[in-house]
Amino acid sequence: MGAVACEGFGIREGELDIQSPVSLPEDLVRGKDNWYASLCRNCPSCEGIVVRVMEGRAKKIQGNPYYPTNQGKSHARCEAGLQSLYHPDRVPAPMVRSGARGSGQYTPINWQPEAMDRLRSELAARAPQSVIITEPLRGHMGLLVGRFAEAIGSEHLGFEAVDNNTYRTAVKSVYDQDLLPDFDVENTNFLLSFGADFLSTWVSPTRWNRGYGEFRQGHGRASSGLKRGTLYQVDSRFSMTAANADKWVPIRPGWDGQLAMSLAQVIVSEGLQAPGVDTDALLGGESGRQLLENFRPEVTAPLIGLTRERAGGDPVEFIKRLAREFAGNQPSLAIGGGSAGASNNGLFNLEAIYALNHLVGSVGVQGGVKFNPGSPWDDVPAGSRPGGLEDWSRIADQIRSGETRLLMLHNADPVHGTPDSLRLYDAITQADDLVVVSFSPFFDDTSGLADLVLPDRVYLEDWGDDIPEPGPGYQVVGFQQPVVNPLYDLDPRSFPDILLTMGLELGRESLLPWPDYGAMLRDASDELFEMGRGSVTAADAEEFWTALLQRGGWWDEAATGPSPASPQAGLLRRIVEAASNPEYSGVGEGAGNYHLVPFSHNTLQDGVHAHLPWLQAAPDPLSTVTWQTWVEMHDVTAAALGVREGDIVRIESSRESIRAVVYPTPAVPPDVISMPFGGGRRQGSPYATDRLGIESSNVMDVLEPVRVTGTGSLAWAATRVRVTSTGESVNISKLEGNVRAVEIGITPAEEIIKTIHPDNV
Amino acid sequence: MVTNRTNHKWGMVVDLDRCTGCQSCVVACQAENNLPINTKEFFQQRRAYEWIRIERYWEGDFPDVKARFIPIMCQHCENAPCEPVCPVYATYHNDEGMNVQVYNRCVGTRYCANNCPYQVRFFNWWEPTWPDRLRNHLNPDVTVRSRGLMERCSFCVQRVRRGEIRVERQGREPLSGERIEPSDRYLNYQRMKEGNFLPACVQACPTNALMFGDQMDDTGPVYEHFREANEQYDARHHGEHVDEEHTRVYRLLEEMATKPNVIYLKKVEKFPVGGNG
Repeated sequence: MGAVACEGFGIREGELDIQSPVSLPEDLVRGKDNWYASLCRNCPSCEGIVVRVMEGRAKKIQGNPYYPTNQGKSHARCEAGLQSLYHPDRVPAPMVRSGARGSGQYTPINWQPEAMDRLRSELAARAPQSVIITEPLRGHMGLLVGRFAEAIGSEHLGFEAVDNNTYRTAVKSVYDQDLLPDFDVENTNFLLSFGADFLSTWVSPTRWNRGYGEFRQGHGRASSGLKRGTLYQVDSRFSMTAANADKWVPIRPGWDGQLAMSLAQVIVSEGLQAPGVDTDALLGGESGRQLLENFRPEVTAPLIGLTRERAGGDPVEFIKRLAREFAGNQPSLAIGGGSAGASNNGLFNLEAIYALNHLVGSVGVQGGVKFNPGSPWDDVPAGSRPGGLEDWSRIADQIRSGETRLLMLHNADPVHGTPDSLRLYDAITQADDLVVVSFSPFFDDTSGLADLVLPDRVYLEDWGDDIPEPGPGYQVVGFQQPVVNPLYDLDPRSFPDILLTMGLELGRESLLPWPDYGAMLRDASDELFEMGRGSVTAADAEEFWTALLQRGGWWDEAATGPSPASPQAGLLRRIVEAASNPEYSGVGEGAGNYHLVPFSHNTLQDGVHAHLPWLQAAPDPLSTVTWQTWVEMHDVTAAALGVREGDIVRIESSRESIRAVVYPTPAVPPDVISMPFGGGRRQGSPYATDRLGIESSNVMDVLEPVRVTGTGSLAWAATRVRVTSTGESVNISKLEGNVRAVEIGITPAEEIIKTIHPDNV
Repeated sequence: MVTNRTNHKWGMVVDLDRCTGCQSCVVACQAENNLPINTKEFFQQRRAYEWIRIERYWEGDFPDVKARFIPIMCQHCENAPCEPVCPVYATYHNDEGMNVQVYNRCVGTRYCANNCPYQVRFFNWWEPTWPDRLRNHLNPDVTVRSRGLMERCSFCVQRVRRGEIRVERQGREPLSGERIEPSDRYLNYQRMKEGNFLPACVQACPTNALMFGDQMDDTGPVYEHFREANEQYDARHHGEHVDEEHTRVYRLLEEMATKPNVIYLKKVEKFPVGGNG
């Protein structure tokens, strides 16, 4: 009888023993959802995303499985796009400053006529003496802002606190490429990375994380004749990538290029180069070979601080063995960036590193460096080179001298993201005749100084496109569509639309002929349709546009990047001739003085996401610290300073000092301390600012304004600091220890994370 | 209304050799499952909510040092220590291998959390709050848990149910909407992937360290691993020798015989700490 009743309810008899036959909470799934393809703007690599929308509200962001770069995968930063959209501290409507500059006092105004009139009159009066600072822009937004700047006689600069200009210059110099290349991590056998935290924040981490998974345990590797990939990370800091490496090689900060050339010396002298590689041509003859001899492991090992202890044996033998493994396990790949390019000799370091790929024949091959083609449209930029320290120093001077009288900002925060020694904050706050207009949807340290605030829509509410840089080796264009409308209590206006309106009203429609940004992108779609190639096929332009938006973009796997030309003759010789050693600024050597190696925060990056609570609360992978600015130092260092976890130390360079919460770890070289960028925001959302001065500080403030020779970028890993205890301490906010976890009782950690030797798999 | 379901047995596999500790799964889970914002105070009081968390263990000391990452979530044990101690059947095992939490039965005794060796249950000490505007992104498929309730990873049961409804009850392909023959109405791995029915953490994981599927679905990524793990479990049960040295599969705290539906694949270690690098 019971069984009959159960069948009636559709529940198995067994379940009824403990279940009442009402709808179970686990079965309550209601409502229709729609998924829209778009682009994530929280990562510089602009992942393709799909957004789940129900009843007009965005509910979830995931990777777009069709998008060629991230292939359905996403970073924590992508998810937090929802919090950007529904953030309580979004600028709700246009405003004009009513108190002193930086006081945060604003009066709301309406868009028409007040806000637009004000903008128009400021442009009319000051446009030739204006600067537009935005996030680095590519695609049609890059074209539009560039055209607008040209139309009004302004200067446009992209801003990135931790820019990749040195890396970009090295790519140009070694491979003669204007666009950043892709790395085929998935299909490489031996990956040698110098300073590049490519699994966390460097350039395109989601794409390379995906590749890394395959690199380790890809199902297709065996059939391609590949073993489990081996990763060596040369780094003065124990980064997330170093933590995942088979071997971390800690060297003194800034000596990466010397190690790379030492590897080259071993490869050349032992004849280990790939077949067909003409080392004579690379070295420019015998004299080049002689120069390379200066980098023999015997000479290099002591210079770079590779002691017997750090190498786990004879350091000379270690370098030789590493060179043999690197050359003998092709396809092998050398990549460099991050701290390796952030000392005064950063350009030499990166050139030396990337030249290694020429020696092992990894340029333009599977498992190596892949070049990217340009944009499918003639005039649309496929990459962007943001301004460097040189530019920001010049802009600060121009503001002080009165040469720059109008500053327009869009999602760029140079006040927070440049060293305090530039005095950009003082320049802006003290300028007599400067008007600052912010188009950012949030207040930050720079937009908080604005006189006129014209909030943009956030990316889930607006149109857009992107040519990912680096692309996957073939032409890709991502399209971004508005997936929801702004909430009823918000009144933002699209930044590109404002620029187009202003262009029209100021009589510059010859350069800016589009009525709005959506129309501009629609024109671009029609052009793609006319090309008649790529992933989207349609009968007419209308259908093409719809299909384009449904897929989140267009790509043409046949339109690959240029094949590599043979390397310039004498490339290695040129690099070794320009070799230089790192120089450290700040305080001298001495007790209590340490190299400061900052790093991009895994989720906050350089601080652009500091207002997003999910990203503040995402534990740092290594320290597991959340919400606070910590300083990583070795247990021995902490003991020498007489500090413990949670104590607050003062960190001083020659100019400024900041405070940070101590996090001792066993994985930092005793002569190095490390701090994340991204803390210490002064203006904007309380999520970013409410811990200022106590538990949150901006490491940028203490950096010496040292430039990378040849690129003008900030050499952010070249500062030496003095560390002293303040005698204060706080309760550290970290995940570690939050749960007693599985160590409860008698289970040791080795039993939790079991390991196996590769020979036993 | 619950109808006859296809017999599933869901399981997750975590490949420690792929996991980089990037936190993508952690944030994806919080977004999908309406977890409260973990404030600084939550962490300081050691009451942060992370249905999936990345634990980091240090091994060795500079320069011969390693950091190891392991994602830990509810293990959905077959012999779940949390289940028998619940006085109100708020936590029980469904017939698809999932450990299910019924929020409106929970009276907050916290016995289950005390009995869980994996420390993956979270008690709501406070009423969860969000600034008004942020409430807009809350997932309507997932209950917001009020103060006094226990919560933990559900294997994103709401997603799995959506998949089952779409494929097995309505008989439609997730993407194209085409009708599926009644004999083929099975939520296999391909359909889970196409329809966004995989758990949020699995979907987000950029290295594919997290894998999910029906343990009996031989087209899915977990089938082989569970087969091996279950063979080992049975062998141990019968007192037979298991060659631990040559297998990557293991279950967390195997000696407790909880038989989780989450299995781990060992990290491959080329240069162990203390070895010759």
